[in-house]
Amino acid sequence: MSQPPALDIENLRKEYNDVTALDGVSLTVPEGSFFGLLGPNGAGKTTFINILVGLVRKSGGTARVFGHDVEDDYRETRNAIGLAPQEFNVDRFFPIREVLEHKAGYHGVPASEAADRADEVLKQVGIYDKRDTRFDWLSGGMKRRFLLARALITDPDLLILDEPTAGVDVQLRRDLWELVTKLNDQGKTILLTTHYIEEAERLCDEVAILDSGQVRTVATPAELKDRGTDRIVVELRSPPTTLPDLLADDERVEAVDLDGHQLTVTARKGGLVAPQLVRELDREGIEIVDLEITRTSLEEIFVEMTSSDETGNAGDGDDAADSDDDTEDDDRSRHEQQVAPDGGQQ
Amino acid sequence: MSVVDRAAAAAGVPTGFYTLVKREVLRYVRRPKNTFIPPFITNVLYFSVFGVILGDRVGTIIGVPYILFILPGLVVLGAVSNAFENGSFSIFHGRWNEYIDETLTSPLSYTQMVWAYLLASALRGVLVGTLIAVLGFGIISGLYQPVPVEQPLYLVAFILVISLLFASLGIVGGLLAEDFDDLTMMNQFLLRPLVFFGAVFYSLGDLPPLLQDISLLNPMVYMVNGVRYGFLGVAEVDPQFSLAVLTAGTVAVTLGNVWLFKRGYGLTD
Repeated sequence: MSQPPALDIENLRKEYNDVTALDGVSLTVPEGSFFGLLGPNGAGKTTFINILVGLVRKSGGTARVFGHDVEDDYRETRNAIGLAPQEFNVDRFFPIREVLEHKAGYHGVPASEAADRADEVLKQVGIYDKRDTRFDWLSGGMKRRFLLARALITDPDLLILDEPTAGVDVQLRRDLWELVTKLNDQGKTILLTTHYIEEAERLCDEVAILDSGQVRTVATPAELKDRGTDRIVVELRSPPTTLPDLLADDERVEAVDLDGHQLTVTARKGGLVAPQLVRELDREGIEIVDLEITRTSLEEIFVEMTSSDETGNAGDGDDAADSDDDTEDDDRSRHEQQVAPDGGQQ
Repeated sequence: MSVVDRAAAAAGVPTGFYTLVKREVLRYVRRPKNTFIPPFITNVLYFSVFGVILGDRVGTIIGVPYILFILPGLVVLGAVSNAFENGSFSIFHGRWNEYIDETLTSPLSYTQMVWAYLLASALRGVLVGTLIAVLGFGIISGLYQPVPVEQPLYLVAFILVISLLFASLGIVGGLLAEDFDDLTMMNQFLLRPLVFFGAVFYSLGDLPPLLQDISLLNPMVYMVNGVRYGFLGVAEVDPQFSLAVLTAGTVAVTLGNVWLFKRGYGLTD
């Protein structure tokens, strides 16, 4: 019998009163893959993740983690997942090492082993020397590192990273990339949500684009890029008075424009179209001075796929359901309020 | 690994459940300035002003010095208010700061979660109740007479049950509250009037018959009465009946809490 996939999601729905945050999401994430979930703010990414870990109750559909239903088998599901969320939802009463020991303990790791594991993951993310510090006293980058440590302390089979590099500096971003790549190489399945297209392109085997609570597409970054149009810009020595009928039979070509000495061909798979273009120009006796191919970026594909519905219901549910972009600010302002009423002292 | 950790493991207590209880207990044990010293000072004041200064003018009630009469009520007051406060604060503060997610995303069963919060909060109630009892023993024995414990089993049973009941009610409060003001309201407008009209400072027999009957609707009357029976061996309401009602109430509220956790009330979106 084959192993169940890390995630098996069918027609997953979440509604908040009249707001639809997830509108029939279906996805399969193979075990051991590095899967990216891309989408604009409020697309439903965080709602999706929170359903998996039990922080949001689904309105319909099914969600299974390694074959375990997120509601019926919630204990098995939660034991399999390590989540590094966007929010700084950390116990602030204890030094971070103890917070990790507690989290490990909740997952059934005995106290002595939990202490060793806590030291190990703190070293792994590079904040071991801060082990006796409380979360509030860590810098922003260290807080992000700690969230990753907390996700790793239970040695999860599925590691979920919700915008792990939001607001961190370049060095930390690269450190995190290196670490999660290593973890994926060791066999952990990784689900990453990110705004940074470069991050998804660099790390993910496969990405899903989520928009307005719906999956627009699932593909590898390379496949997605192939769906975009490239630009072939050719500098001509002496432009012809009339433009010959170039690449007329090539279905990949969308437009051919001549502007002075510059010929621009817009086409899918520009790298494959370019040699044919060169041959035809040569046949017409038109001399080429320079040629440059500008490939479509994944970012452009992403924008194209997620902006088509801007005037529709793209914003539905965003404020109530997801509000990815506001999370950090919210967290900060809430935290300021939190300390005031009682100081957390009772 | 502490001795307690080893004992719990040897006794077969599930690690996840034990860890949550431990976390909850450590939170208040490490902050005595906020958890144990305030009720100690408050009760020194109660014993001094109500017990000694005013009590000497009151004389005796049901045959004992006034300070001894109010001791059971003050023990109840300390135990229930601390158990309630701990339960409600722990849940609500965790929700407010979202660190309760650390528990909710763990493979603990909902029953384990509720019982962990419940036991830790009830233990705080028992500890504060014991602290007040020891303080009262010291003051009363030093100034007046030895403090009797006529029905020790009843005393222990009542302290345990009322601490569990109010810890459980505190968890309900923590789940229902939407703001810190709600917690303050529950404490000031619900808990405190019940306590002060719960025959802590007076005997039911001193009230007119109508008010006596109305007082019997106040659960605090049964609790104070039960603990007083444990100390003094005299009761104005049948202690067995009181214990049964309070135990049933504790079971009902706790089952309600497990149901609320399963539904994710106040915890999940």
